[in-house]
Amino acid sequence: MTLTRWLKRLAPLVLCLVLLVTACSSAPSRYDQVQKDTTGFRSPAAVDKKAEKGGTFNQFFPASQGDYQVIPYQEKKGFAEYKLQRGDTTVAMLTINDTISLPVAAEKYVDAAELVSGYPSVDQGTTATGLLVNGRYQVKVLSRDASFGKAERVDWLQKFDLQGLAQLQGKAVVQPKRSAANPITPSDTPVAKDATPAKPGFKLPKIQVPAPEPTLQPAG
Amino acid sequence: MSKKIYEVVDKLPKGGLTVRALKSLDTFVPGQWDNLVGFDNTIKVVTGETDEAMIQAIGERAVALFNDKKQGYQTALWLYETVDSASGLLGTAALANRIGQDTFLGFLKNISPKPEQAQTIDLAVKLVTEVVAFCKISGIPGDSLGDFLTALGDYSSESLVRMAALVSFDGIIPLGAEFSTKALNAIKGMSPSDIESNQTFKGIKNEIPGNDSKGKLSFMTESFESTKGWMDTFVADKGITQSGLLDNLGGFIEGSRGKLDYLGAFLDMSVKYYEHTGTQTLARRLIERAVAEL
Repeated sequence: MTLTRWLKRLAPLVLCLVLLVTACSSAPSRYDQVQKDTTGFRSPAAVDKKAEKGGTFNQFFPASQGDYQVIPYQEKKGFAEYKLQRGDTTVAMLTINDTISLPVAAEKYVDAAELVSGYPSVDQGTTATGLLVNGRYQVKVLSRDASFGKAERVDWLQKFDLQGLAQLQGKAVVQPKRSAANPITPSDTPVAKDATPAKPGFKLPKIQVPAPEPTLQPAG
Repeated sequence: MSKKIYEVVDKLPKGGLTVRALKSLDTFVPGQWDNLVGFDNTIKVVTGETDEAMIQAIGERAVALFNDKKQGYQTALWLYETVDSASGLLGTAALANRIGQDTFLGFLKNISPKPEQAQTIDLAVKLVTEVVAFCKISGIPGDSLGDFLTALGDYSSESLVRMAALVSFDGIIPLGAEFSTKALNAIKGMSPSDIESNQTFKGIKNEIPGNDSKGKLSFMTESFESTKGWMDTFVADKGITQSGLLDNLGGFIEGSRGKLDYLGAFLDMSVKYYEHTGTQTLARRLIERAVAEL
């Protein structure tokens, strides 16, 4: 009886205390941990110093064709993105990124069961299909319209200049396993080019674009 | 301490003067803007993704990219926030306390309209802010004004409505239908000392390309000259007129008709459209990148 009476008296106090504490602090978020991990002294960079320049990837994107327009969208270090438009509708995003900044992105291809143009390919979430070139460069097509499904994504993945991309000299992030069920022909086997360079010393030409003075310096 | 991008996007207002002012532009750019707010909600709408684990992964990568200062997203957010608050800095400190709760008629008693020169510089600085922030966010395919102009032709949703607001609220309302010609001529006749005393310019000058005020003014002039054609075509194509804008704004800013210079100053102080839509553009591009890199 005494205990019940005490509890009754204590309840409003506890309630007030809880309200006070929750009112003073912002609501917890599922991103609090990553915020903590990526801020402050010695927090890791999101993009690796050795990542390819985004501009390097531009030449490997497919060109506009038929009803489809391929429009430049973003170009950051280790990443380039184009919009795929049909009429006024964006049907998909086309991207290439250097997984050296995020090795876990490359790791998902290690056990890939499918191959597209000889490269390991996986579906991700409900709207994306990707493939990995040289165990490092990820090429993705991400649907942005219901009319653009997996078949269209795979179709557009094959329109990239994948062989050109495979000429890049970056060291592999992962070594994809060869699948017995899907034999890969030697000509399009994804291999790390630094291990067996096809063209030693090959470098992509640098294109100088004339720019007005003063010029803008893109970030990253 | 770094801002938390997920909180910034979560706290974007769903209503208020800024949102109402932007929605009043729907007549001219129909269906372009739907005021996308909330971090997770933005991820879902932008990517079409419904898988919770995937949404979490996209959000985490986006947060990491934003927090890496070298990526330029923090500077872009700062630019969008600063250009809005700096342009609204005129007026007394007492008045500043009333922002957001003031009515237009109450506001008239406390302020004099911005001089045309200050308004012109504001317009030019906001335009150059868009060029610089766009480069910081998108990295710009290429790195020149020419590339920005190509991208401008492809602007949509919150980016397009921001440009519509720029030409409307900072161009047509305070300066009239010939705002672009008027402003360009004015900027061309300005000296570095003219812009150095302008609050909006002072707010963001360190991020404007150019070694000194002369170089920065030159870049602003060049930016304005390059985008003038786009602005004129945009205004003509969308049929944006002063009276059309007043009809739409009159719905919630009573007594504004006939006091255009005051209305311009009122919008300047009360409507934070650069910060609002700039944050939305940043979140969209950040999320587009995050989902692709995973």
